[in-house]
Amino acid sequence: MNLKKVNRKLEKRFGSAAHASFHDGMITVTGHLPKWSDVVEACSSAATKYSKVHVVNDIVCDEVKEQPMRMPKITDKSLDGETPDVLIIGGGISGVSIARELSKWKLDILLVEKEADLALQASGRNDGEVHPGVDLSKGSMKHYYIRKGNEMYDEVCRELDVPFKRVGQYVCFDKTWLKPAIALYCLWRRKHDGISDTELISGEELHRREPNLGENFKFAISNPSSGCVCPYGLTIAYAENAVMNGARVALNTAVTGMQVENGKIVSVSTNRGTIHPKIVINAAGVFAEDIAKMADDRFFSIHPRRGTNSILDKKAGAFMHSIASVVGLNFGKNHSKGGGILHTVHDNLLLGPDAVETFEKENTETRKESIQTVFTKQKKTMPTVSERDIITYFTGVRAPTFEEDFIIEKGRKTENIIHCAGIQSPGLTTAPAVALDIEKMAVEMLTKNAPVAKNSGYNPIRHGVPVLREMSDEERNKLIKENPDYGVIICRCEEISKGEILDALKSPICVPTVDGIKKRIRPGMGRCQGGFCSPLVTKIIAEYLGVPISEVKKSSEDSVITFGKTK
Amino acid sequence: MKKNYDVIVIGGGPAGLAAAIKAHDSGKAVLLVERENRLGGILKQCIHDGFGLVRFKEKLSGPEYAERFIDEFYEKKIDYSVLTFVTRIEKKENGFAVTLVSRDGVTTVGANSLVFATGCRERTAKQVAIHGTRPAGVFTAGTAQHFTNLLGELPTKKCVILGSGDIGLIMARRLTLEGAEVVGVYEAKPTPSGLTRNIHQCLHDYNIPLYLSHTVTRVFGADRLTAVEISEVDDKMNPIAGTEQIVECDALILSVGLIPENELAEGLGVKIDPRTKGPAVNGQLMTSIDGVFSCGNALHVNDLVDYVSESGETAGENAAAYEKKERREIDLTASGEFLYVVPQKLDLNRDNSRTTVYFRSREILDKCVFKIKKDGQEVFKKKYPFLRPPEMEKLVIDFDSFKLDESSELKLEIEVNAE
Amino acid sequence: MKELVCIVCPRGCTMTLEGEGKDVKVSGNSCKRGAEFAVSEMTEPKRTICTTVKTAFPDVPVLPVRVSKEIPKDKIFDVMAEINKVTVEKRIKRGEPIIKDVLGLGADIIATSGVLDE
Repeated sequence: MNLKKVNRKLEKRFGSAAHASFHDGMITVTGHLPKWSDVVEACSSAATKYSKVHVVNDIVCDEVKEQPMRMPKITDKSLDGETPDVLIIGGGISGVSIARELSKWKLDILLVEKEADLALQASGRNDGEVHPGVDLSKGSMKHYYIRKGNEMYDEVCRELDVPFKRVGQYVCFDKTWLKPAIALYCLWRRKHDGISDTELISGEELHRREPNLGENFKFAISNPSSGCVCPYGLTIAYAENAVMNGARVALNTAVTGMQVENGKIVSVSTNRGTIHPKIVINAAGVFAEDIAKMADDRFFSIHPRRGTNSILDKKAGAFMHSIASVVGLNFGKNHSKGGGILHTVHDNLLLGPDAVETFEKENTETRKESIQTVFTKQKKTMPTVSERDIITYFTGVRAPTFEEDFIIEKGRKTENIIHCAGIQSPGLTTAPAVALDIEKMAVEMLTKNAPVAKNSGYNPIRHGVPVLREMSDEERNKLIKENPDYGVIICRCEEISKGEILDALKSPICVPTVDGIKKRIRPGMGRCQGGFCSPLVTKIIAEYLGVPISEVKKSSEDSVITFGKTK
Repeated sequence: MKKNYDVIVIGGGPAGLAAAIKAHDSGKAVLLVERENRLGGILKQCIHDGFGLVRFKEKLSGPEYAERFIDEFYEKKIDYSVLTFVTRIEKKENGFAVTLVSRDGVTTVGANSLVFATGCRERTAKQVAIHGTRPAGVFTAGTAQHFTNLLGELPTKKCVILGSGDIGLIMARRLTLEGAEVVGVYEAKPTPSGLTRNIHQCLHDYNIPLYLSHTVTRVFGADRLTAVEISEVDDKMNPIAGTEQIVECDALILSVGLIPENELAEGLGVKIDPRTKGPAVNGQLMTSIDGVFSCGNALHVNDLVDYVSESGETAGENAAAYEKKERREIDLTASGEFLYVVPQKLDLNRDNSRTTVYFRSREILDKCVFKIKKDGQEVFKKKYPFLRPPEMEKLVIDFDSFKLDESSELKLEIEVNAE
Repeated sequence: MKELVCIVCPRGCTMTLEGEGKDVKVSGNSCKRGAEFAVSEMTEPKRTICTTVKTAFPDVPVLPVRVSKEIPKDKIFDVMAEINKVTVEKRIKRGEPIIKDVLGLGADIIATSGVLDE
């Protein structure tokens, strides 16, 4: 890092409006800029990709309005005075996988999540690809974890009873003259970066495997180790297994501040009371910087990046059975714009995501332009995809640092915090491996004060709700005979029975909302989008809870579905 | 339930009931399968009146209309199974094997022929490109109707309705009667999608405004919907920038079209007509797969239940009479003025002397002549003062009198502004 | 001259009315019922109400009902208020009255479904 050079660049572009300085092992960029895109540009130009010296953004930006974090509606004292060994902040894939690995130890683990369910932010709003790491080079944290994480998936998903398929990924090229360069690139990735499955295949081979991909593709990089998983399904499964092994999950619980004394967090305040943890794990996604700041340990900045994915009808799922994307000349340089096409683990097609810088951490609104960008690009990957097959779309907000790498380390100034921050793609792939390392760090940190014993009752096996539609007639018949509710189909598109809905309501982390059930077992995820089943699901939840229908929510406390009886 | 039936009817709504009764009357062993806990289909929640004017010359409510058929169905002691879901159908040497899931378990039943009376589903918010947040309070009209009329729950206190389809209009009145405020009905097309009488008796009677060439472009609200953005649209139905206005409300109710449900039939390889989105059928309402018949809203979306029952009867009668026979089919080709025509084919090896033709025009057309041309020669015509897309037309035609053979080219045309 | 759309049947004829009160001359109608509707619209417009009534049975919380004959249009909300006061506590049949001669208008409120009787 050459600070003078950085400041020359900043001055040339922004005059005196932005300036970088180095202190405490970080680069702080200050100044006053009108637009958020300028801020991202200024901070990115001060950052060195994959560097451990992070850029902290202290630029005042006119465009950025005061945006307080959306708070859960509830306030009580249910967690007041709690003294967990480990407080995990964030119920995304990072937080829950860490909770699960830590539950191997005899520890009081408390995970807090501000939303009404797990995986409601980036972990539930991504494409679910388990990446091969073909675009990553040695030296980054992403690269360090990618192969380990990828290789763990078969076992983790088997243990947690989560569907995972190694469908393979194709990066497609339409220019023959690029082939020698890309062949060298693959060789380098294989030999130097350890991406052992990467190979080049011909256009004929590509079309033999995926006949509907663009006719003009001349060759492709193939990565058979790529796979797809249901990202929120995996998150929930990890959390359930953690809970089975003694960890606690508190939903609707937001961290609002911390008391730090002598370089140590002594208490953490939330809307449910003040907690006194021994150690804190920061897995707060887009809010990781805010948590670090509360802990007096802010040495990085997050610049949120929005991405929208579209889900296509299962009929379109028959067009392609793997993961594919078309590549232009900017391969490996820019953040993917327009993503790829992925055959999901539930046999839909998913298109996206795009990538748009934003200062809004929680704005998951969808926009028409995002869908257009993605489809314009992906029609090149596969001309048969059509907007007409869209059944839904959603936006997620990634949480990158300006170095575009993960931060997985103990606090730099505060001693009892571990950061799992800057997690963006391929954070889903790396999570199982990262969790093991954070488990080690946390146990090591706790052992300084007192020895930590193994949890003798630890069981890594979690059984999800049975999926009757995937069973043989014999198995299905047997289960229905045991519980006739398994024979009552409520969601016709996804073939979900009343029995499965009741099982989800009885699962270890019960989220008795329409969305909570939908995320766990899929009623409403099909082509009618809950048109037929949402009143039925609402009624089943109301009956299960013994409350009026008007008290059942879509998701959050205020997301009422009906306003009470008509008469 | 027996192991084998002559005819299995899938769907216990008006089409399926009529099909099952008719097939039973032909002396065949019939099983009707219904996935919900009661027969009647969507009519159970269509508590408004106006059903049965064609068939019974009476203004019945949906449940009354359905229950007339249900009573007859029960009286005839036809086999049926409610809360029963078809998970799989396989084509066998002699007929079909239908796998059913119910509280009793998984069973497979054989049938010589099948009638698909699987109805239709509603288009959703995402299928009409509505963007913004994902709050509670976005309902299709049918879902809102289910909450209101079956569960007795009020889904909104103040809503915007997008789309002027009949269910949307009916729900505008229904919600108003239950004390909710309907701010307006917005329709992207320049003309209403629903029946004219519904515009009058559901909107005008209750002073609910109808805004044509307007659409909802965005929804707001993190938890429950708080407002929608309305935009005017151009003649290609694209929103016009600068015309956006925010309308505060707690629900958006969508009546933006119905799509025939044919996923089961498609699984068997039944070919779908892209215009009707239902199976392409011949005059017997038999699909591209021998022994598979289609009727009601699964065949094409009807505006009157009377025609749903009628096509059910046709399908039921032909399914009962079905025996494998070589096909000799010719196409009924429809010109561009038609939105669609059913049937799409005629099988010259079957009786076509009383074939019912259903059609809709693509646009509002005045002073029309419906014509059938055989090899360029006019063989049939009928005058219409006007044709409107929301109102399906029906004709019974004696095609046999046209002396058709495999080489005949049958073309349907509409002459406009005829004198 | 006044234009009126007929709501008697789905055809929805646009009718033209000339004159006043009972002596009105109707054209554009396709049937006798249309002319009758036009006259009634000019003198005392009437409508049907279809709605639901609350029941005491949790499996069928509301029962569909309608008026046995048309009522004056301006009485719709008054009749709705009457219907909303009632709770059905017996498993009644389709067609059975729930309120007789509602508000003295000569119309009964009758059940339009036999769902309670099944």
